[in-house]
Amino acid sequence: MADSFRITRAAYLESLDDFREFLKNHCGGLLGVNTDLLYDVQLAVDEACTNIITHGYADMDPGSIILDLGIDSGKLTVSLTDFGHSFEPDSAPVPDVTAPAEEREPGGFGLFFIRQSVDDMKYQVTEDGNTMILTKNINPHDGGTA
Amino acid sequence: MKTEITQEEHITVVAVTETVDALTAPDLTRTLSQEISGGHCNLVVDLTRVEFMSSAGLRTLLGAVKESRTNGGDLRIASMNPGIDKVLKMSGFYNVAKVFPSQAEALTSFSS
Repeated sequence: MADSFRITRAAYLESLDDFREFLKNHCGGLLGVNTDLLYDVQLAVDEACTNIITHGYADMDPGSIILDLGIDSGKLTVSLTDFGHSFEPDSAPVPDVTAPAEEREPGGFGLFFIRQSVDDMKYQVTEDGNTMILTKNINPHDGGTA
Repeated sequence: MKTEITQEEHITVVAVTETVDALTAPDLTRTLSQEISGGHCNLVVDLTRVEFMSSAGLRTLLGAVKESRTNGGDLRIASMNPGIDKVLKMSGFYNVAKVFPSQAEALTSFSS
């Protein structure tokens, strides 16, 4: 049976720490969720929330970010909902990870890190807000907890 | 995030602890930029005690690497936290700067 948890915070950079702590508190002790896997989920959520805070709510009053966490034996599901500007995930350029320093421009890794860190990412826009759904597979037989 | 700055002969060591995210990365950017503009162009940024770093931290490091080289120096990284290493590897940061598993090895690399 799946467990679900929710945290809602204002879309400020000061809230990033709260989201990471929330994930650590609810996922850290689970069988199959080792330090490495927890870091992946925290990184994906951190990058997604940073994008919402800095781009989604740009030029408007900061609203909220709702994080819904679903836990079952085979996967973690994180849904992030905001009410700011939506975006097109498929239109984001893929950064060149082979480029040397002098050929790189700052930034551009947020969405790339999200995709690299989770097993599935979906993004949907409805009249109820924008929701990014991140899925991370866990193996309870993998041993170790964070 | 906290930083501790020490001088090892001609190399400045900036040891970072806790978290480097979009909130705290601008502080690290300012710290590194102040060191470089103050003439300390050879730096080791020690990330071995950083618990979490996002792409905001990479943006800071990339800018500081470029700034140090523009001023005739170099910035090298010490990192042994698996999470931080993963972020560095995913972004191909090993093509950007030299990364060592310890502060001591990063320091020694400047004399070889």
